[in-house]
Amino acid sequence: MDSTTQAVAAIPRLVADELEAPPLTLRQLTWRRFRRHKMALFGVVMLVMLFVYAFGGALFVSEAEANYTQTAARLRAPSAAHPFGTDTVGRDILKRTIYGGQISLLIGLIAMLVELVAGILIGAVAGYYGGKPDSLLMRFTEAAFVIPQIFLLIVMAKFFGGKIPNLTVFGRSFSGSVVVVILIIGLTSWMYLARIVRAEFISLKEREFILAARATGTPALQIIFGHILPNCMAPIIVSATLAVAAAILAESYISFLGLGVQAPTATWGNMLQAASSDFSKIQNAPWFWAFPGLFIVLTVLSINFVGDGLRDALDPRSRAV
Amino acid sequence: MGRYIARRLLQAIPLLFIISIGLFVLMQNLGDPLATMGGRMPTRSADRERLKRQLGLDKPVLVQYLYWLIGNNWTETDLDGDGIAETPGTRKGVLRGDFGISLVNRKPVLQVIGERLPATLLLMGAYEIVVIVGALVVGIYSAVRQYSALDHAVTGISFVLYSMPIFFIGLLSIYVFAVSFQRWGLPSLPPNGMFDPQVGKTPSQVALHMILPVLSLALISLAGYSRYIRSTMLEVLHQDYIRTAKSKGLERRYILLVHALKNAALPIVTIVGLDLPTLLGGAIVTERIFAWPGMGRLFLDHVERVDVAVVMAILMLVSVAVIVFQLLTDIAYAWLDPRIRYD
Amino acid sequence: MKKTWFSTVLALAVIAALLLTACGATPEPTQPPVAAATNTPPPVAAATNTPPPVDTPVPPEPKIATFIWTQEFDTLNPLYTNMWFSSITQQLWNCWAWDFDEAANPRPVLVKELPSVANGGISADGKTLTLKLRDDLVWSDGTLLTSADLLFTYEMTVNPKNAVASTAPYDQLEKVEAPDPQTLVMTFKEAYAPWVGTLWHGILPAHILKPVFEKDGTIDQAEWNLAPKVGCGPYVFQGWESGSFARFVANDKYWLGKPKIDEIFFRFVPDDASQVAALQTGDGDLGTFISYADIPTLQSANVTMITVFSGYAEGIYFYVDPQKGHPALQDQRVRKAFALAIDRAALCKDLLLGMTAPAATDWDNTPWNDPTIQPYPYDPEGAKALLDEAGWVDSNSDGVRDKDGVELVLDYGTTTREIRKDTQAVVQQQLAAVGIKVNLLNAESDLFFSSYGEGGPAAKGEYDIFEYSTAFHFPDPDTADWLCSEIPSDEKPDGTNWAANCDTELDALFAQQRTQVDISQRLDTFHQITKMIFDKVYWLGYWQDPDIWAIGPTLSNVKISGATPFFNISEWELTK
Repeated sequence: MDSTTQAVAAIPRLVADELEAPPLTLRQLTWRRFRRHKMALFGVVMLVMLFVYAFGGALFVSEAEANYTQTAARLRAPSAAHPFGTDTVGRDILKRTIYGGQISLLIGLIAMLVELVAGILIGAVAGYYGGKPDSLLMRFTEAAFVIPQIFLLIVMAKFFGGKIPNLTVFGRSFSGSVVVVILIIGLTSWMYLARIVRAEFISLKEREFILAARATGTPALQIIFGHILPNCMAPIIVSATLAVAAAILAESYISFLGLGVQAPTATWGNMLQAASSDFSKIQNAPWFWAFPGLFIVLTVLSINFVGDGLRDALDPRSRAV
Repeated sequence: MGRYIARRLLQAIPLLFIISIGLFVLMQNLGDPLATMGGRMPTRSADRERLKRQLGLDKPVLVQYLYWLIGNNWTETDLDGDGIAETPGTRKGVLRGDFGISLVNRKPVLQVIGERLPATLLLMGAYEIVVIVGALVVGIYSAVRQYSALDHAVTGISFVLYSMPIFFIGLLSIYVFAVSFQRWGLPSLPPNGMFDPQVGKTPSQVALHMILPVLSLALISLAGYSRYIRSTMLEVLHQDYIRTAKSKGLERRYILLVHALKNAALPIVTIVGLDLPTLLGGAIVTERIFAWPGMGRLFLDHVERVDVAVVMAILMLVSVAVIVFQLLTDIAYAWLDPRIRYD
Repeated sequence: MKKTWFSTVLALAVIAALLLTACGATPEPTQPPVAAATNTPPPVAAATNTPPPVDTPVPPEPKIATFIWTQEFDTLNPLYTNMWFSSITQQLWNCWAWDFDEAANPRPVLVKELPSVANGGISADGKTLTLKLRDDLVWSDGTLLTSADLLFTYEMTVNPKNAVASTAPYDQLEKVEAPDPQTLVMTFKEAYAPWVGTLWHGILPAHILKPVFEKDGTIDQAEWNLAPKVGCGPYVFQGWESGSFARFVANDKYWLGKPKIDEIFFRFVPDDASQVAALQTGDGDLGTFISYADIPTLQSANVTMITVFSGYAEGIYFYVDPQKGHPALQDQRVRKAFALAIDRAALCKDLLLGMTAPAATDWDNTPWNDPTIQPYPYDPEGAKALLDEAGWVDSNSDGVRDKDGVELVLDYGTTTREIRKDTQAVVQQQLAAVGIKVNLLNAESDLFFSSYGEGGPAAKGEYDIFEYSTAFHFPDPDTADWLCSEIPSDEKPDGTNWAANCDTELDALFAQQRTQVDISQRLDTFHQITKMIFDKVYWLGYWQDPDIWAIGPTLSNVKISGATPFFNISEWELTK
């Protein structure tokens, strides 16, 4: 006994070198790379500010104030009382951009979620099972892909238009068209993501750790969601980020054509539509369209920066820190 | 290669069927085509009933789809409302080349589309040229002068432009170049239409009116594609064979234009191949802002009047174009890059 | 990391530039200098006339007037379109049997004089109409225009092989005969009073279209429909390029004399913005359907605005179905409370820039309206008193009135036009001030105007209040929208009485006026009708909706009519 303990004590042990840094996890690696991308950081800061403006602003400005019409004060230029001016019925544009911002940002986020769910489900099932389901789903995806999104948006907006009544959530009442817009944007943008997910699944499902999981009898659902999916998060995250930007843009396009969210619920997109509905407004009241437009540009720009940064940070090809 | 093409084309047929059925069903709930036939007043009830019968809108959806697809000149329709079908139909159906009659002005659908197609092709053609040339120039220059001031300027502006909705750029350009220029006494660009009818449809008029819409459209795409070309070029320029060429003493410009450019061809094919067919549908929003009489406006106008025949024809046309161009793009890829093989 | 900072800074600079655009622009004054052209609701007779033209020698180049149209014609065949932008061109190249001047009085065009009981044109029982045509009528290709052409027009309208837009009022005819080339005898099934405003809106050339009908079995796709090269008006169709323009040149065979302007050029622009721009720069000489917001801009460019009444008034209908409607709206006092709670005068002043006035009934500005009717005043206290009296009080202090457990919450629907959305927002606020809550709903117009059978929300009673610009068949006061028989249901899916209003007294009055060929009797009946609709507040008027025409400084001698705007176009003068 004594000699064994002594022998064990004699084995040289590895002592943590104080100068040597602990190995980095993947998350820390990603964050470090992201931090170096200055534009992406700027994007994050901008986005935080925008969210604070839209959601935090609601603490200072009530919804009733945002909807308060005062027709005698219509179309006033920016002034101390109305920093962004007023619209055609005298509502303050600053307050409306706050509440409009909430809806626009929410639409962007939730549409992205719808798209994510649809895309991941379809891509995963097609990629994992292969064969007939894959063929069928891919034909379906291709069919949806072939028609340009703006056409589908217009047709679907008219299809669902006016069918959903007004809803009241958290004490605020929304026009039912918000749900319609979220649905149609989500339902017309999942195709690209489905393809990416399917490609990842096809390549990952032949790996050994998946074979091992199957050999030990893990149910398919757990393999899909517990094993394969976490390993292809990188392209999904990037895709999801950029999808928010695309959704916000899509909402503004469809509102511009008059088929988006209906009054009196404001969004940045339908404020732009109201502002460009006749020439005198374009010409004489540029504040009416410039401010919502600016907000849309800033939001989409920041999201694009962040997405760019994430793409570089998560790119497995460049392992350099 | 021939078998690959044949296989793709065969696969396209069921795809087109699925698309046409899906779209047709969507069409049914777009609204009532008879609703606006009363002009400024709601349509009278007696007229509604009669028109529904005469236009074949009282039949169930599947029957209407069937008539759309293979016509109705093999059966009889009841035109005078007595319940007995006595008049033979006159339609031959899409499969025989008859896309039907527009509900709006009773013109054959192909004629309606044919009248607007050239205007769209013109706009899109100009747009493609501007984007290709512009993206090449900007992309290559940025790649060659990576990290220079111009590169960063271009990157910054690209991002901003890329994030703008098209109508915002359109509005800004109208505001600046049409309204403000006129206000400041500078020669201004016309904000809408295809030509000034007092002068007539001359090439110079059309060119002048094309400037603002093409510019607005092109700026956004330019931003995206120039970055794409820039990154492709960067990849290429760091390859070993370029270094070899440089060390051989070949002139810079020769290296760029001959070696590097060939490799930039692939992104160009992507741009043209995948972008073009969607533009066949017209840039809907741009045409709306600038009053360009193209397919986009046609689509919007006829969707508003729920003119199923025209809307279906446009969507099918665009779908076919997308499928064909996807195939052409893949073939072009194989031709340009011998490493790509299809079985 | 200088380099990435630079791009960030540049991006910020671009954004700053955008901000400057927004803030730095100086707005034009929003209140219009109240211009000389009509800005008070005109009685129809007050359409502006400009003084007669100065004597100018005939210039060598042709005088071309450019009209700016924001909607392109769908077709030019009078039988196939109800589109206003197409029908109003018919005074240019086609001919009506009689048209209407700026005071909505009929004046003969094809007939020698208007038929009446005195001159034997109308039979004693009111069922037979005899038209005597002029004998100098010619089509633009020289062929004589006779009663055979009118007979042919009638036959084409009622033939089931033609999918015409409307068969009214020819489906009321028992028979039509043409005993000689200058006479047409029409026999109605019953005495039909609305014939003046509804008959003979456009004639088809039998010598061109009869062969087409015989060959194709229908005139649905006739070439003439889109290129009517043969016409009977002061101008002749010359060309139509889809999406861009259409041209009409002076007809030297016109029996009332060649018009003064040589050519009328229609230019199609897609939206009001382009129209205003064209009128401002003088690229266009005439425009229509101008939105109120653009009027000051145009007036400052020396464009004259003419407002003319054509029977349209914007207002709301109440859905009063006894089973499916909201119980509050069954009570006349509640409906009257609405009238007192909404400040329509302010709407007209602020949203419509004071260019029009509140409407009392749809028949305002016509002799059909009972002259004692004045629009309801703005009296929110009175509204509250009425609601209290009707038993609707706020018993649970949630800000909304209720009665018997039912809250006074209503659905208010309209189309997606900007002005309507704005109005809804204002009305919602004013109604909330008296304790009525309204939910705002909007639908695209082809959805909104869909019939019951097609799922139209207004027709199906999904809206408690619905707003649109309603009209009778101007210049005839008749309308079918109040008849019990027109209430939409599964048996009658196309009914037009969307308010589901079945008032037997009103129904009887409407049935009566249709047969009263004697004007004074009919006027009396309509006075009763309008008073009833007003007192019972079945319809609440927001504003009178006249047509607004923009006439450029180059045109003179222009008179505009509500029913046939271009009735005196051959007398218009152009000075460039």
